[in-house]
Amino acid sequence: MSKRNVLSRRALLGGVAGTVAAALVAACGGAAATTGTGGGGTAPTQANPFGSTVPTATRPAASTAPASAAPASAAPSSAQATSAAGSATAARAATSPAASGPITSTGKMTYWGGLIFSDDANNLLSQTVKDWGRQNKIEIDVVMINQNETNTKVAAAVESNTMPDALDMGIDLMLLLSNTSKLTALDDLYAKIGAAQGGWLKGTEDATAPAKFGGSRNGIPFGVSGNLLFSRKDVLQKANVQVPKTWEELAVAAEKVTKPPLYGMGLALSNVGDGNLQVSVLQSWGGRIASDDGKTVTLKSPETKAYLEWVTGAYKKGLFPPGATTWDGAGDNNAYLAGQAVFIANTGSVAITAKANKDDELVNNTGFSALPSGPKMKISSFGPNVRAIPRGGKNIDAAKALLEYLSNPDFLNKYYKVAIYGPVLQNQAKFDAFADPIRAGLLDLAQNGTAPGFPDVSNTAYADFNNNFIIPKMVQRVVIDNYDLDRAIDEAQKAGEAIYAKYK
Amino acid sequence: MAVPAAPLSARRPFLTMARREALGGYLMVIPVCLVLLGLVAYPFVYAIYISFTSRVVGDPGVFVGFRNYQFLFNWVSFNRALTNTVTLVIVTDILKFFIGLGLALLLNERIKGRGLFRSFILLPWAMPAFVSYLTWRLLFLPIGGGINLLLAAVGFDFGVIDWLGPRSTAMPAVIIATVWRGFPFWCISFLAALQNVPQEQYEAAKVDGASTWQRFLFITLPSIRHVIIVVTLLSSIWTANSFESIWIMTQGGPSDATMVLPVLAFFGLQSQRLGEAAAVSVAVVPALAILVFIVAALLQREE
Repeated sequence: MSKRNVLSRRALLGGVAGTVAAALVAACGGAAATTGTGGGGTAPTQANPFGSTVPTATRPAASTAPASAAPASAAPSSAQATSAAGSATAARAATSPAASGPITSTGKMTYWGGLIFSDDANNLLSQTVKDWGRQNKIEIDVVMINQNETNTKVAAAVESNTMPDALDMGIDLMLLLSNTSKLTALDDLYAKIGAAQGGWLKGTEDATAPAKFGGSRNGIPFGVSGNLLFSRKDVLQKANVQVPKTWEELAVAAEKVTKPPLYGMGLALSNVGDGNLQVSVLQSWGGRIASDDGKTVTLKSPETKAYLEWVTGAYKKGLFPPGATTWDGAGDNNAYLAGQAVFIANTGSVAITAKANKDDELVNNTGFSALPSGPKMKISSFGPNVRAIPRGGKNIDAAKALLEYLSNPDFLNKYYKVAIYGPVLQNQAKFDAFADPIRAGLLDLAQNGTAPGFPDVSNTAYADFNNNFIIPKMVQRVVIDNYDLDRAIDEAQKAGEAIYAKYK
Repeated sequence: MAVPAAPLSARRPFLTMARREALGGYLMVIPVCLVLLGLVAYPFVYAIYISFTSRVVGDPGVFVGFRNYQFLFNWVSFNRALTNTVTLVIVTDILKFFIGLGLALLLNERIKGRGLFRSFILLPWAMPAFVSYLTWRLLFLPIGGGINLLLAAVGFDFGVIDWLGPRSTAMPAVIIATVWRGFPFWCISFLAALQNVPQEQYEAAKVDGASTWQRFLFITLPSIRHVIIVVTLLSSIWTANSFESIWIMTQGGPSDATMVLPVLAFFGLQSQRLGEAAAVSVAVVPALAILVFIVAALLQREE
């Protein structure tokens, strides 16, 4: 019995050792085979979808792409080519990888699109990217990402080295990724697209200026977003109230029209992106987050106190809908669509949803205007959204071609008609998409809005400050925790100092 | 006939039977150890290491000692998150214990439709968490929310109550939702334990004149104490690490009324500051480790 046990154990151990050895041999064999393909110390090669191997580091002289595959540079309208002719910038760009030769990719490509409230816009973007893939015989996955989650998804993707070939993002994220050199410089493509379409709008050009992003253009802007003031025309008319031009007038108007369950000020005061509209309102009162050099927190000021007094006073009068301090990203939309809010600051998604819901009454009774002014200035902040290419990807040239394709006027005119973005290029201002009244408001915002962060410096500390929702929390301290104004400001100042100190 | 003596080395080989058995044992254990090292120890130690660095997404950063912790412990949100996390764990555990045990005792009796009730009881736990908490958020809505409508329908029309808005009701609302989703696990675990309590003990106690309460106190509770300890431990860890309940219902607000450590860590991740986010997560480990050691010690003492 004992002998049989010993033999059995030996047999088992032998089997395990044999299996391990076999696995090692197999692994070594695989590695050798892989190395062999690359052979001769040349650039590493990987199989492309067409069955041949192409060097990943350089574009092959003789492409393996079928002759019928339309080059991406052909996709934009001829107007681009005409406008670009004679331009030194365009001539330089024409020699860029994105402009020459058929497009190839190494394996399947992935594109992360920014999900917005319009299904039509999301579908159109997704379809257009896939069409580009089909035209170029490139397999491409389109993943639409909720924009509230882009930061965390990108963080995980960067850490696990699984970034897509191209993706949409806001400039705050572009700032964070530029600081760690995680994005491909796209100066050539930026110049080429700008030259072909009458140049970039000044606001967009300034907001994405290389000086703020590590010395290069790291994204191709495709639309600006910002808030407009949406209001219920029928309610205002009934109360004989004019659309307010200042925030103070808005509070007065709100007081006149608030009759629960209808509330005047449908502005988020919660820990979500919409809550940070309060940063702009504070700035319009003359309050500042930090000094002119963007390094020292200067929140504690009489202007901040005046703003806080105004907003918390309005809250205590019951002008905000219940729940505004815990709303999620759709809180203001839901309140407006449910007929609970008279004024909301919104990018335009609420109008698209109302139309999609076939709520004609609400659509017809909705007016919009630019955000009101404060006592010191008018802050109507906008932020360009960009398409970027992560550094170190396998398909940078193909991704550049895709971004160029997605900048073509035909597509963007269609896209703007269903999306909620303002234009980024001079020629886009003439698109019939912006004849629509709401989108005309977005056009105005793109042309005349204030730069992101203005009058503060939009740097990483400022982005971190906003990511921690310090201003909405300061308001919450007063209206929820009954802090006095000074105590709430002191706490916010201290929190801001701790954040800014990390970036010194 | 004399047999020549074998050399000493031949008679006592290095790999004796005992050593062979020991070696075999170690070889068998190695794969498990490797898996544990790779999947548990490495990420855990690495998270601790990251918490001592200035790492941001895409940049490994440098060693900064306790700077991240210094920042956290001076940060008012962190202190509130710590308090809220402890409160959430303790209060939900107590409520889940009583509700779970009460229902388990009920379902252990011979009642009609017992099997059906046992199945139904699992529904909250089987439902995806985000669906549960989204539903609770809708129920707690101030205007058009199910709870306010229900109160009005049964004659308690208090007007618009913003359950998630004020500090006084936000945390209780989150606790209710968390308990609702978590009690089935306690109930089913207790039910399984109750079914293993020998009936003879109850019968003997009855013969001795023990009341129902005495039978519960001196037979039922001691018999299922191991399960109580393990369930409490698991539930505490899950609740302390739960993110979706708070995120979906309040995002940690209003103010910091419902801010808990996982949500705070998520804010760190949104700012791409991995060092800080790791520090928030690691900061809760000592408390949980103490809990684990206490439970382990209790179990060992019982054995």
